[in-house]
Amino acid sequence: MNIIVFIKQVADTEARIIIKNDQKSLEIENKYNMNFFDEFAMEAAIKTKEKFKDSKITACTYGPKRSIEALRTAIAMGADQAFLIDNTNLESDDSLIVAKILSAFARKEGFDLILCGRQAIDDENANVGVMVAEMLGIPHASSVTAFEVVDSRMVRADNEIEGGIESIEVQLPALFTTQKGVNTPRVPLITGVMKAMKAVIPTIDPTTLGLSNEDIDLNSSGIETISLEPPQQRPPVKMIDGETTEDKVRNLVKALKEEAKVL
Amino acid sequence: MNFALSEEQEFFKKTIADTVDRMIVPKAQEIDEKDEFPWDLWKEFTGLGYIGLRYPEEIGGMNADKVMCMIFYEEVARGSVGFAQSVIMNILMGTYFIFRFGSEAIKERCLYPAMRGEKVATMCFTEDQSGSDLGSTRTTAVKDGDGWRINGTKMWITNGPVCDFCTVLATNDPSKGLKGLNFFLVEKGTPGFSSGQVLNKLGCRGTVTGELVFDDVWVPDENFLGTELGKGVVYVGDILDEVRLMTGAMALGIARGAYAEALEFARKRMAFGQYIGNFQLIREKFAEMDTLMNAARLMVYYGAWLLEENKDCRVLAAEAKMYATEVCLKVVDELTRIYGANAFAYEYSPQRYFRDARFLLYGGGTHEVLRDFIGRSLIGKL
Repeated sequence: MNIIVFIKQVADTEARIIIKNDQKSLEIENKYNMNFFDEFAMEAAIKTKEKFKDSKITACTYGPKRSIEALRTAIAMGADQAFLIDNTNLESDDSLIVAKILSAFARKEGFDLILCGRQAIDDENANVGVMVAEMLGIPHASSVTAFEVVDSRMVRADNEIEGGIESIEVQLPALFTTQKGVNTPRVPLITGVMKAMKAVIPTIDPTTLGLSNEDIDLNSSGIETISLEPPQQRPPVKMIDGETTEDKVRNLVKALKEEAKVL
Repeated sequence: MNFALSEEQEFFKKTIADTVDRMIVPKAQEIDEKDEFPWDLWKEFTGLGYIGLRYPEEIGGMNADKVMCMIFYEEVARGSVGFAQSVIMNILMGTYFIFRFGSEAIKERCLYPAMRGEKVATMCFTEDQSGSDLGSTRTTAVKDGDGWRINGTKMWITNGPVCDFCTVLATNDPSKGLKGLNFFLVEKGTPGFSSGQVLNKLGCRGTVTGELVFDDVWVPDENFLGTELGKGVVYVGDILDEVRLMTGAMALGIARGAYAEALEFARKRMAFGQYIGNFQLIREKFAEMDTLMNAARLMVYYGAWLLEENKDCRVLAAEAKMYATEVCLKVVDELTRIYGANAFAYEYSPQRYFRDARFLLYGGGTHEVLRDFIGRSLIGKL
């Protein structure tokens, strides 16, 4: 079974991020990780390979050269090979264009199953995976919380719906986006780390995937960022004083009524 | 000059840092409070294979270069020095002599299980009356038939109370001082070999440390670890620089953990209507800490590079151990000042860093002994 896992390297949640003076671009501290939700996709792929031994896992990302580090992490976890589709001087934020590039890669590489995280934790768009499936004309299921390849033709999965869980069976080839809870991503073994350190990760020029430069260059997107704003600062925590527990509760209720005006 | 880590080393550093953040950091406070050998974490972490860090790939190791080893020591100590000390004892001193001199049967019995985390290793140098002064070793090994009879008591043995085997330093001729020293393997279950007092330590808790007693312990000739009698101190010399640099790397790890705590606190703690990181006297502390840590880092990693290149680094390794540890002591002290009174409470982590840092003053040579060694080496014999 050919499994493709699309991953993205994103800024670490603890990295310092500053909006530049142009109000349209970011200065990000040099701390990057594999996207949180993509780790679940990698783990689902590895578990599938453990069940179907002749499977091949290909990790792929569309990103800058530094993204090779995230691909090495994928190999350390258990991917057999990895590819970087270099986005230098190309549109990198528009989900539609990213999906065009990734679907072109999948078409060229061949696949039975595609996995990716439900969303990237940087732009929170949550639509690249779904778009890739649409472009490839294959079924997809989003935000799966349970995932099992039954045989070479079918996957059984659960996804969360309002107030419950929906269990589904999906014919392969298909694409799934993974949600927290589907599994516990493994910590790489030393043998995986060694393999990843030595791995040669090919870089692909996206124009070799059957896309023209005009389709993907910096002017190709129909979306323009007008400005970026930092999130509103949360007000400081207020400690509720009082001699006794009863006093503290009384003062808390008073504050909720008179200051927060939520009661 | 090129000070950059290779892409492979950068990847290794990130991977081990992530592993430490996931597995060790969340348990650091608990390890310290319980002060028991953390068996669950031990199995989970050693199951990844890192105990074979220094050893060849052919026997299941990673064949890591010395810079990567320092990266590992630094990162694990950043997570929990109590846990790091147990792990590093298995990686370095506890298995070194067995890998170098042990028969295949001994390696099958001890080294390979230790590399898988299935057995706990240690090395016994120190006695109640001798630490840095190895020439005063009183544990004896006397030839007896096809083996050796060992008598003595070792103290301050990392992993001692839980070890499955140990490499013990003993003299076959006390009149020869340093030239009478030899190493022997003693395995758990050998008659006369037992664990004594367990030490209640100020810091580095979670590593169980204590006394090992050798009461008429007989081991076969196979357990003599060396090629020639009386060369024990030479063999110690072959690993001493690495041990000292490793201690420096651990000091850097503790310092980085403490610095990160201080930075987070300075960025969120308000006083007099503003973040305390806005005050010049607080900023000065960060300038000082970062400068010192950068200097210590350069020394430790330059030493690792020298070691990897088989160049002489005896003086630099001693200087790096001493300097990095002193820097660590300074950084943990500043953390407790920046943190204010809460640093004095067991509920918060600064006091743990403060206690743990003291531990590094002794291993790899006290700073008094090291200063004398460095000065003597620089001035030469007069």
